[in-house]
Amino acid sequence: MSKTIIEVNNISKLYKLGTIGSGSLKQDLSKWFKQSVLKKDDPYFAGEDTGYVDDQDLWAVKNVSFDLEQGESLGIIGSNGSGKSTLLKIISRIVQPTTGYVKGIGKISSILEVGTGFHSDLTGRENIYISGYTLGMNKDEVKKKFDEIVAFSGIEKFLDTPIKRYSSGMYVRLAFAVAAHLEPDILIVDEVLAVGDADFQKKCLGKMREFSQTDGRTILFVSHSMQSINNLCSKALWLQNGKMRELGESSAVVNKYLSSVQQLKLEQHWDDKATAPGNEHIRFRKVELVPMKSNPGDPLDIRTPLVLKFQFWNETDNISLSTGFHLFSYSGECIFDIPSSPQKFNKGLIEGECTIPGNFLNDGSYFISLIVVKDTSVQLFYFEECISFDLEDYRGDIQWYGKWMGSVRPALPFRMEQKEPEF
Amino acid sequence: MLTSQEKPVWKIEAKSSYLNLNLAELLSYRHLLFRLVRKEFLINYQQTLLGPIWILFQPLLTMVTYVFVFNKIIGVSIGSKIPAVLFYFSGIVLWNFFNDSFGATSKTFRDNISVFSKVYFPRLIVPLASIITQSFRFLIQFIFLIIILLIFIFARGFDFHFSPYAVAVPFIVIIVGLLSLSLGLIMSVLTAKYRDLGNFVDIFVRILLFITPVIYPLSSVKENIRWVVQLNPLAPLFELFRLGVLGEGTVSPWGLAYSIAFTLVSLLMAILLFNKMGSKLIDVI
Repeated sequence: MSKTIIEVNNISKLYKLGTIGSGSLKQDLSKWFKQSVLKKDDPYFAGEDTGYVDDQDLWAVKNVSFDLEQGESLGIIGSNGSGKSTLLKIISRIVQPTTGYVKGIGKISSILEVGTGFHSDLTGRENIYISGYTLGMNKDEVKKKFDEIVAFSGIEKFLDTPIKRYSSGMYVRLAFAVAAHLEPDILIVDEVLAVGDADFQKKCLGKMREFSQTDGRTILFVSHSMQSINNLCSKALWLQNGKMRELGESSAVVNKYLSSVQQLKLEQHWDDKATAPGNEHIRFRKVELVPMKSNPGDPLDIRTPLVLKFQFWNETDNISLSTGFHLFSYSGECIFDIPSSPQKFNKGLIEGECTIPGNFLNDGSYFISLIVVKDTSVQLFYFEECISFDLEDYRGDIQWYGKWMGSVRPALPFRMEQKEPEF
Repeated sequence: MLTSQEKPVWKIEAKSSYLNLNLAELLSYRHLLFRLVRKEFLINYQQTLLGPIWILFQPLLTMVTYVFVFNKIIGVSIGSKIPAVLFYFSGIVLWNFFNDSFGATSKTFRDNISVFSKVYFPRLIVPLASIITQSFRFLIQFIFLIIILLIFIFARGFDFHFSPYAVAVPFIVIIVGLLSLSLGLIMSVLTAKYRDLGNFVDIFVRILLFITPVIYPLSSVKENIRWVVQLNPLAPLFELFRLGVLGEGTVSPWGLAYSIAFTLVSLLMAILLFNKMGSKLIDVI
């Protein structure tokens, strides 16, 4: 039976805007006088429930509660400034909560940056010891792990060189090697993995997976990479403006989060022909991108087939028209340019559609432009950036977290077999 | 509720108490403490021309200046028989110990904010490491003082009478160390919150030097203003130190009791304040 390892109960953290760091001796004295001598309530707690930002108060974290059992890992997601790091700092004992408490069993270690406790004038060897002890290892642990740390970081030759002479890559490798050999019961990891290259991130995530799934330890993990949250964490917590927006099974929470943050312009329509985009030849009535999702709550990911639908008014009788569908990546690179075959049309409303199959595009942000052409060569109207959409990554069971290269990722038939078995 | 037999159960709360000094936790971080001391020595004397010789060079140079300025130019009386070199050097060594310990511990939060904001360990470890570092420096300087004393006795014929108060010397050093730690801890908390107090502290320490019997003996202070020096809890300690090492000094039991009481009260205040504020300060630095 698994037991509760960490219990976070109704944690809140209040910051007073503007007063931090200023000499507030007078304010402190008057607050103390009111509280202790006049026995009045703390003026800074009045109006606590009125809202998130209250004049000069900022609730960085507000009423957050959750429990974690042994071997469970919790991913914490949310936009910048949503309180993720503050929450981790409270649980790491670095800052004190304004209300609530955290209870836990066993040793807790936090990696909120790479190279905590490192001193640039000291040698690699000295820094392994000092950083290890700072992060909470004891003497036996450091001694036992010393060779492993050195091997993992690959800096054997530079062990007695001051780390200020290291390349930044060596520095990061050494710092992570120390952190990776901690053996706490609860590990807290902030977005530190963002610093390394793909190979390094893979190594780190592999180590963390081993840590939680093989050794049965508990992890709290903040990341902007939904892929690693999905793969590493059983539960996820979505923070918004310091409050808990969603807590539950990680893929469900990640999906809800992604659908809310995707920057979409999936549909545009104009009922009044006079204000519709276009010119004396062509006026657009509607453009939309319809995702063929099985579940309406799912985010758009690379598996989703997308149907581009459009309608426009044609102002000329007996004209040969074709429409070009241009897809651009976010950096402005054209991924494809697909024209429809030319057809004769008369005045009136014209409708068209084109389907991008699922498992074709890579993850990323895209936009679509439409061009209407007369006689396959004369441009009548170019409707730029009429649709924009994001595609999220989806990798299923593939345990690799680096950025997938290329503009497209089509599911082409691929075959491999053992040709000459060797016994 | 959370219970466990073998693993520590901990709780983080909104309120911090004055009385939560966790000695077991402090003890579990002792290896960090020793590494921090080692680090201080390594970073101070790596990539220097003279290396650890600086530990002796600095007080020697100060002593030469004092002998020259106060003894030769101004002609401050230093008492009867003690050679000026020994008189000044003994004062400088103890004063350096107080001054450097206080200076290092009072900057605990200011100098370690980058580590404190990223990882938890008992904050008291850092000032303790500073004090231990300074104690080692003091020990080296003190041994040098004894060497100079021996040179004067055997080579220069200094008529030295061994004083039974010599047994009090280690005790004096501990009291001076505790006093500097206490005042340093209090200042570290206050200067973290009210930054301009840092300037005040520098001036205060400079003035303190002049009302401490470092460059003059208490006996040479005029009776009518002697109380100013006697108000300074360091004065009896410096006098007793000189009495123990060089055999000359003016100490009353009341003065010594005052120094000890002052030290104990400030130590208690310092630990309470540091406990109470240590976890809150990270928000204000």
